[in-house]
Formats: sequence, structure tokens, C-alpha cells
Amino acid sequence: MPRSAFLDLARPSRRHWLGYLLLAPAVLLIALIIVYPLFVSVDLSFQNVNIARLDQPRRPFTTANYERLFASEDFWNACWVTFKLVTIVSFFCFLLGLGTALLVNNRFKGQALARLLVALPWAIPEVIAVVIFAWLFDSSFGLMNWLFIKVGLVDQTINWFSSPDAAFAVVCTVMVWKGYPFVSIMMLAGLQSIPEDFYNAAKVDGARAWQRLIHITIPSLMPVIGVTLVLVMLWVFRDFSIIYVLTGGGPLKATQSLSIMTYEQAFGFFKMGYASAIGVITLIVCVIASRLMIARAPDNI
Amino acid sequence: MAGIRIDSVTKSYGGLTVLKAFSLDIADGEFVVLVGPSGCGKSTMLKILAGLEEASSGTIAIGERDVTDLAPGDRDIAMVFQNYALYPHLTVARNMGFGLKMRGTDAAEIDRRVNEAAKILGIGHLLERRPRALSGGQRQRVALGRAIVREPQAFLMDEPLSNLDAKLRVHTRAEISALHKRLRVTTIYVTHDQTEAMTMADRIVIMKDGVIQQIASPDVMFREPANLFVAGFIGSPGMNFLKTKAQAVGGGVTAKLFGHDVKLPIANAAALAGREIVVGLRPEHIAAGAGQVSFTVTPRLIESLGSEQYVYVDLPEEHRRDAGSGGEDESRRTSLIARLINPEPRPPEATLTLSFDPARLHVFDAASGEAIR
Ligand SMILES: Nc1ncnc2c1ncn2[C@@H]1O[C@H](COP(=O)(O)OP(=O)(O)OP(=O)(O)O)[C@@H](O)[C@H]1O
Ligand SMILES: [Mg+2]
Repeated sequence: MPRSAFLDLARPSRRHWLGYLLLAPAVLLIALIIVYPLFVSVDLSFQNVNIARLDQPRRPFTTANYERLFASEDFWNACWVTFKLVTIVSFFCFLLGLGTALLVNNRFKGQALARLLVALPWAIPEVIAVVIFAWLFDSSFGLMNWLFIKVGLVDQTINWFSSPDAAFAVVCTVMVWKGYPFVSIMMLAGLQSIPEDFYNAAKVDGARAWQRLIHITIPSLMPVIGVTLVLVMLWVFRDFSIIYVLTGGGPLKATQSLSIMTYEQAFGFFKMGYASAIGVITLIVCVIASRLMIARAPDNI
Repeated sequence: MAGIRIDSVTKSYGGLTVLKAFSLDIADGEFVVLVGPSGCGKSTMLKILAGLEEASSGTIAIGERDVTDLAPGDRDIAMVFQNYALYPHLTVARNMGFGLKMRGTDAAEIDRRVNEAAKILGIGHLLERRPRALSGGQRQRVALGRAIVREPQAFLMDEPLSNLDAKLRVHTRAEISALHKRLRVTTIYVTHDQTEAMTMADRIVIMKDGVIQQIASPDVMFREPANLFVAGFIGSPGMNFLKTKAQAVGGGVTAKLFGHDVKLPIANAAALAGREIVVGLRPEHIAAGAGQVSFTVTPRLIESLGSEQYVYVDLPEEHRRDAGSGGEDESRRTSLIARLINPEPRPPEATLTLSFDPARLHVFDAASGEAIR
């Protein structure tokens, strides 16, 4: 029996209809929980709003929030802090992640256990991890001070959370600790997809271990590295709970990243419009950064 | 270039012994083919030669130099892999020059050698492409090119043609042979295809379950197989085997085949009388029409290839070997194949007279499978 030409979704010319049909619920959901709030916050950022309520009448359009933002020293400080955080944390996450992945990719006894241990920090909820670290770095009875004094690195206790540099270092440490397992897992997956024969061919070609790392492993991992880098950078960019629980953005705004600043303005000082403006800027920076990263990922595999 | 001496190499994975006392002397410039069914340890032997696997015992020397415990890169050999293992992120030229670069050869020299090899293989126009932009046959050439730019002591090739289609395989086979004639580099070539082995090899090493069955030139391998396994493996279609009993008659030995007492081409007849034997007869040694020993059959199936015909005949019960004795499939055990060259067309149901020359028969001991001459 001939089927109705219009409704037959199996026809080559109609095949993409089915795709759209199946995508529709997801698209609607995303529109509802992501795109709508996005529009609201962009809208808010152009109004002088203090406490946002949906039933409020619209305030007049103004660019005052942005003008104030770009003139504010706090904003540029937050940008600088965020930039430092993203660079340092991503770098060490990659160093540790790739290193541990290479280690546990080898065949040895207890490999399964080692992989589990590497991935463990990832499974611990952020807040709990931060509380543990807050205790480790406690100035009067923390483990770190005790350790540093025992080893002889310092001769008196450091007050980790009142020195700007130390507090920043602690935040970085916790973020790296929390973030590297993700890199490690991604790299491990990437490593296992490299055919054994590439290494065999390189060995026969006379490549030493580090030459194989540079000429085979890293280039083969490049696509995974690109995606992982974007994900890690975005995570650092917008991570809130680690910094907030650890330092609250202090001391002296040394750890006040853009997301902390947004939160503080919105729910500390109830400047919703101003906070939205920071949020919008953050979003734009994120989008541009990730576009750049993905676009420059090599297309050779 | 150099000869290779493999001396009683064994290999086991845990309790599983994959290679048993493998010894082989390869002359300088020789083309040796390792052939055998899947899982017989060919690739393992090649990897041990390359240094990618460690031998459990035994020694390997390349050109008088003991390399048993040398890293793959220090053995001065080049290997062509079954899936080519070209580095996807490098261009063809860089793929080919990789080995030289790792050895610190200067860029001008690498360029010169890569271009020279590309010219030999006819891939000069592909040098700037990435492997994924090449066809299977082109990748295969690049893999060969990567081996020859190194100008190594020996080439090791592990089923380099198995990813090509049938026609290209025949073509590339001839090319590799020509390349070998030109470069005269010692080559060890692994395949499970007996045709490749027969056409390319100076000498064939035939293996089964990690044990060498016979080492001989293709002609000798075909004419004088050492045992039932070799006889069945070499030749296409494989040799027909008929179980029977030897009888002493006068000075010679006869066996009952298709109802006739056929005199066997055996030298030391005395020891054989009364023993169970297997008689081998190649499909191409069976002719249509009457001859020295003739028999009449009803074909089960006739396959025509135009220039030749394969006639499948059910073997009489008394000639069938015990199930599982030869390791090959059931249909070979119960049927006889005749390969008729330039046949006349014939209806499949008609009875047919076939004949053979008893001098062409091969005789094997039924228990051990060894050839008796
Ligand atoms: N790493 C390993 N651990 C355990 N057994 C192995 C290992 N590598 C190979 N084997 C076994 O060794 C035997 C020989 O393997 P090999 O790869 O040499 O076979 P092959 O002759 O090359 O077969 P093919 O024609 O299918 O490539 C096989 O039975 C295989 O299962
Ligand atoms: Mg193999």
C-alpha cells in the first residue's frame, strides 16, 4: 500500500524531519531553563534593578550598569584574578592529569586500584572537599603548617587565609586537586584509543620513550586535549563553591573571581542589574574563549 | 643487508606456548615467507625478530650481531604492519622520514631519500597529503616507502596485503617481488595465504601451532610435502586424501584405490606392508577420460571457472579419514576434488570417468602424518 508521501518520514527527502521532531522536546526544555533566564539577565543588565521580581514594571533602558562596571577597579581585579586562576589551574590540571593518565595507562599489578585512586577526588562533592582542605590549611591546627614546619620550609605557622598570596595558592591547590581527575579520565580514554601499532612502528623507527610521547602520544591526543581544555577552563571560570566556601573571595579581594563578584553584587548588595551585567560579560568571554579553543584544535585526526 | 640467524627461539604467554624451538637461518638478500593458519605464531615470531616482544628463550642474530636483547630501534630493521600504522597527524613525506628523523639524520638527506623512495614507488605526488586522504593501496605503498627510506638490514612484513582487494593484492604482490629483486634486502614476510607464499618466496617456512612443519623452496614444498599438513596447506584446491591399507606385492607396495590395486611410488617398500596409510592426490593430477588408473563417478557438484572445472565427488566410505584427523573441514574429508583444465562442457548429472597416474601419488603414514618416500 503506498504511504502518504507527506507523512512518510523514511523517505530520503523527509529524513531530516524525523531528526527535528525528536529534537523538539529537548530544544523546548533548553529554551525554558537556559535561554529564557539568559534573556532575562541580559534584559536586567540594561535596567537599574535592585531586587528583581518578574511582576515588577520594566525600568527604563540604561547602560549605566556597564559604564559603572568598566570604570570599576573591582571588576578589573576580578578579571585578573579569574584569568590567573584559569591559566594556573588549567596548566597544573593538565600536567597532573596527563601525568597520572600516562602512569595508570601502563600495565602493572594493582592498575585498577590506581585508576580508582586517581579518579577519587572527582567523586567527592566540592563542598566536602573544600571543608577538608580548609581544615588541612587551618592556621593553628592544620596539617599543612605542621608538615611545612617539620620539613623545614617555614619556621613559623602561616596564616593561609589572611595572606592574599597564600589564600590564592590554597584556592589554586584545591581547584587543581578537584579538577585534575577529570583531565586524567579524559586523557586515559584518549590514550586507550591510540592503536598499539603506532607505538610499535615508532619503536621500530627508533623513537625513544620521550620521542614517542612528543611525536605520537600528544598529537594523537590533540582532539581530546582541545575539548578537555575548554571544559576545564569553563569549569574554573564559573566555579563558585570552592572559592566561596574556602575564602569567600577574600582576603582583600585576592580570590574574588568574576563569579564570586556576581554573587556578591546580586545577593550581598542586591544589585541585580549590576550583577547581571557582570554575568553577561562573563558569558561573552566564555563563548569567545571556547570558540577560539575549539577552532584552533587541529583537524588532522 | 645481512643474514639472520634465529636459534631455537621459544615464546610462552603464561602457560600457553606459542612458539616451540623455532630455528631458521636466512641468507643475505633472501625472501623468506612464514606461512600458516591463523594463530600459529607467525606474527609473534616477527615481533620477536623486531624486538617488540621478548623471546622466552633462544637467540637472534642479524648479520653476525647478537640482537636478542636489543631495543627495536637499534636492530636496524624496518617493519610493514598489516594496518600500515601510518601516523595520521603527519604528511606522507614526514611519515616516510620519521625513522630517519628519530636517528638524527639531517633534513636535506631525509628529503633526498624520501624523494628517491617516492619515485621508486610512484607516490611522488602524494608526499604532502595526510594518510587519511589516501586510498588503501596508496597507504600500503607509503608504508612500504617508510620501510625502504631507512635502508635497513632487513624488512619485516606482517600480512601487508591483507587489507587490499583481490586485484590490487595480485598487483602489489608482483610489485613487492620486483622491489625485492631491485633492492636485494633480506625480507621476512608473514602471510596466511599460500598463494602469496608460493609466488613470492625464495623459501617458505610453513608453521602450525608454533612448530615449523617444513622449510623449502615453493617447488619442493609443492612436489615433496613433508607431511599431511603441508600437503593440504600448499596448493589450491588442497590435496585430496584417501585412507587405505598398504599391501606387499612382489618387490613393491600396492594399495586399494577405487577398487584397483595401485602400485605406490615408494622406495623402501618392505617396512610399509600392512600399515594404514593416507594416499594424497592433487586435484590437478586427476584427468578426465580413461588413463593408467581409471574410475567412474557421479559428480556431486561441478564448478566451472571457464578455463577450468572443479568436479566434486563423494569419497567412498572406505577412503574417508577419521573425523578430526586432519584438522580441516568436514567437506574436504568426505569429498574428492578434480581440477580439469580446458574441460568440455558437461551436464552435471552424467557419470564421468576420471583417471590418474600412480607416479603422482603421495604417501603418508596414517598415524604420524609424515610423508613416506
Ligand atoms: N599478548 C598475548 N597474550 C596471550 N596470548 C597471545 C598474545 N599474543 C598472541 N597470543 C596468542 O599467540 C598465538 C599466536 O598469535 P599470532 O598473533 O602470532 O598468530 P598469527 O600466526 O599471526 O595469526 P594470524 O594469521 O591470525 O595473524 C595465538 O594463539 C594468540 O592467541
Ligand atoms: Mg598475525
